[in-house]
Amino acid sequence: MSNLLTRAKDSIYQVLRGLKTVAVHSLRIPTTKEYPDTMPPLPPHFRGRLALNVNPETNEHLCISCRQCERVCPDKCIEITAHKSPETNKLELIDFKIDHGLCMFCGLCTEVCPTDCIINTNDFEMADYSREALVYDIRKLTLTQGESSHYFAAKEIALPKPKPAKPVASAPIAPSIAKPVETKTEAKPVETKTEAKPAETKTETKPAETKTEAKPAETDTDTKSTDNESK
Amino acid sequence: MLANSAELFKFTRLTLIWLTLIFGSVWGACFIVGVLLPTLLLRACDNEIFALLAQICQYLTPLIAILVFIPINAMFMVLVERRGLALFTVRMGPNRVGPDGLLQTAADAVKLLFKEDIIPTGADAWLFTLAPIIFFAPSIFGSIPLLAAITGNNDLFAITNLPTGIFFIIAASSVPVVGIVMGGWASNNKYSLVGGLRSAAQAISYEIPLVLSLVTICYLNQSLNVVEIASRQTGGFLNWNIFGGGALNGLDKYLNALINGSSNANDILQAYYPSNQWILTVIAIAGLVVSTIIAFFMYITAACAEVNRIPFDLPEAESELVSGYNTEYSGIKFAIFFLAEFTNLFIVSSIATIMFLGAGNNPIPQFLIDYLFKNVTFIPQTINAITQALSPLINQIHLINPITFWSVVWMIVKTYSLVFFAVLVRGTLPRFKIDQLMDFGWKRLIPLSLLVFFIVIFAKGVINTNV
Repeated sequence: MSNLLTRAKDSIYQVLRGLKTVAVHSLRIPTTKEYPDTMPPLPPHFRGRLALNVNPETNEHLCISCRQCERVCPDKCIEITAHKSPETNKLELIDFKIDHGLCMFCGLCTEVCPTDCIINTNDFEMADYSREALVYDIRKLTLTQGESSHYFAAKEIALPKPKPAKPVASAPIAPSIAKPVETKTEAKPVETKTEAKPAETKTETKPAETKTEAKPAETDTDTKSTDNESK
Repeated sequence: MLANSAELFKFTRLTLIWLTLIFGSVWGACFIVGVLLPTLLLRACDNEIFALLAQICQYLTPLIAILVFIPINAMFMVLVERRGLALFTVRMGPNRVGPDGLLQTAADAVKLLFKEDIIPTGADAWLFTLAPIIFFAPSIFGSIPLLAAITGNNDLFAITNLPTGIFFIIAASSVPVVGIVMGGWASNNKYSLVGGLRSAAQAISYEIPLVLSLVTICYLNQSLNVVEIASRQTGGFLNWNIFGGGALNGLDKYLNALINGSSNANDILQAYYPSNQWILTVIAIAGLVVSTIIAFFMYITAACAEVNRIPFDLPEAESELVSGYNTEYSGIKFAIFFLAEFTNLFIVSSIATIMFLGAGNNPIPQFLIDYLFKNVTFIPQTINAITQALSPLINQIHLINPITFWSVVWMIVKTYSLVFFAVLVRGTLPRFKIDQLMDFGWKRLIPLSLLVFFIVIFAKGVINTNV
């Protein structure tokens, strides 16, 4: 009997404690994030939709059609169309397609990009009614100047130097390992491909042409205006 | 001050808006059917048929009131439950449809009504259709006698008053379990069947303490008539049945005399509690008060089990049976199950209010109000002025009846407080196991209710509650 009373007392106490907890909880501010109204605070390195940067200062497109992102992509969701410009003998970007339906947002493409052109933005609202609509072309991918400068600042990427300076930064490393002699001699006559790393470009269909890495400062200053489609 | 004051304010606002909506529409419907239509009919033509029609209109008023009340009230209670649970679990709850989520449940109701009505293969179509009706109709229309007590025995609702009101309500409210078992059986689904059978077991076990605790109150008031039970609790919370069912009447009267400086205060005390056997009297009063408080909580517990609220929601335990007896139901039949469940919760709360919490009576003793506001003259003056201003509405159009109005206001406050308490319990307690449920019902509640009943019988013999 006394055991029964003790148990009854104990259980009533427990129920009252539970009620008290609930009552105290009802005075707390809700933890709900009202998502569509208030965006969650995303870190700058959040891996959202892929996009292509332009130079925040000059508004020139940063992509150099090196196809490294296309090669590194595990899903093979990047498709780059480029052609060789007859005047300058340099690769010119025609179209850049990313199938976001295939993309798994691993961010490998952004890591290999030599010019910090392709980046993960903080945008993640890409729902659409068809799979075809998830394939973004260059028009949808390229950011505006303002957005680019925002992401350059947020991700703390060093601002790209004007076009001539950029290949210079990579040129001393790359050609020096590969063929420093050739680059000097066959700089202008042979077609120039603005590739950062010669080791990878060798695997392309035309090894003879790609070997001839030519990125002297002089050639690039000439072709700067033609090489970039700024959209 | 409070961290969550914004949410609490929204919750209060939502409650007030919906309550105004519910009782405004019920009031309007009652006025039209009970007063306006008969008056117009009588004025239009003065023959016997029209007089008969007018009378029929008046007799239909309680039914119309119930029919208007049930759907709106169910919507409101679902919303309060969801918002209340959100409050308790530190969430926000539905706040998208309409201003601040006010119309969420209205939208849900419309959606449910337009959904496809599926009868599963192998189901017994006839019983399957009958089950929601049997679940819905008896308990809700059986509760009509409550209307007389809720409205303070208004003329229009006086016909609903039965001499054996509470007996009739209890009898009617034990029918729905047949509907649940029927639905579970007819669904041709294991989960539904188990849910239905559990419901039967539960309802049978918990009806006994429920009825015994109500019988205790009926015994104390020597009446089965809800209006009479309600009217015996007038004059402050000391007269409520939850505090001894009249055992403290003498105390109430004594305090009244004391505060007013009346000379016969001690005589009153003597008349109620004879001093020649004061030890016995004190024991009896204490026994009565404790017993009735226990009876109240026993009633609440058993009522929760009767209407399948959460600590006892085994018939529709989502984690074990998909949704219990209503797994296979969709569309309007499911809506009826849903409606009946929430209306039943309201009905058991209002029974608790009428039987234990003084029905529509003011909880603050009248003498206390008089004493506190003795020197504040402007409040009675304002009330008088308002009454004067509204007198054409009261006396000529019969739009407002002050007695009914205050009675309903207090009923609303008390009943929805109990509903809110049920939501609070839902946010607090986990579900019983079926063996714990049976154990608690048969080995704890039934002996306790019998004990309370006997204590009340003996204690009532000692003190005189009927001076």
